[in-house]
Amino acid sequence: MKISTKGRYGLEALVDLAIHSSEGCINLKSISERCGISEAYILQIFLILRRAGIVESVRGAQGGYVLAKDPSEITVGDILTALEGPLVPVACITGNPKCERYGKCATYGFWESVMNALNEVAYSITVSDLVEYYKNNILSKNYEIEYYI
Amino acid sequence: MKFSTKGRYGLRAMVDLAVYSKGEHVALCSIAERQGISTNYLEQVFSVLRKSGLVKSVKGAQGGYILAEPPSDIKVGRILRALEGPLSVIDDKADNSRDSETGIEQCIKQCVWDKMNEALNELADSVTLEDLVDNYRKLVGMENTMYYI
Repeated sequence: MKISTKGRYGLEALVDLAIHSSEGCINLKSISERCGISEAYILQIFLILRRAGIVESVRGAQGGYVLAKDPSEITVGDILTALEGPLVPVACITGNPKCERYGKCATYGFWESVMNALNEVAYSITVSDLVEYYKNNILSKNYEIEYYI
Repeated sequence: MKFSTKGRYGLRAMVDLAVYSKGEHVALCSIAERQGISTNYLEQVFSVLRKSGLVKSVKGAQGGYILAEPPSDIKVGRILRALEGPLSVIDDKADNSRDSETGIEQCIKQCVWDKMNEALNELADSVTLEDLVDNYRKLVGMENTMYYI
């Protein structure tokens, strides 16, 4: 059971956007350079996130992308679901395709509880939590390392 | 994000074996028939389960498989790990295109993937095969019978 590159890269690119959002509109090229993800792939991801109402695009020479709402109102679950579809460990949980064993399946209940546990985690973490953690725990540590070199 | 057929079918086959074994060896073809899984595929799955010490096999006309331990001692996590490898929502090996881990990647790993994996493993290790068997019996209206293992 794996989250695809789309979900992983998408989450990274969005956190990067959120970290730099104080600088105004962010162009995809700078996200691409910082994250090491191709610009074309980020564009593909941001088109999906725009349709999901998570980012907004701004046209023009100084154009780029901004978050469509406050980072505290965007959860990891919103982003992953937009990019990956429902976070389910097995396809039958969504009822599509319909399974003839539905209602008498030996393992359906277990998979349902896996889905609930994963969603609970994903929807409890916001983009603003990630930005804060990045600033307090990652950035500060990296600076320390630089000082000692 | 999905579990593979091996994990899904393997878990269902283990519940079936636990329900129908009644202390005797069960032929794979009877599990295959009840669960709608091909016998060939089950042979692969059970060879992995046997190597992991979860089932024992007997050859011959009355041969087949039996659980190696009482179902109350077999955690679902053990079955899934035997069939799928470590339970993780991301594939750590898939991403060798980028050679250095960025700060944002570290941040997301620590705040999101590690937390999701923790929830997943904790859940899988809190449910036993016996729990699934009990649940299955209720679903199909079977009376609780003694295990003869």
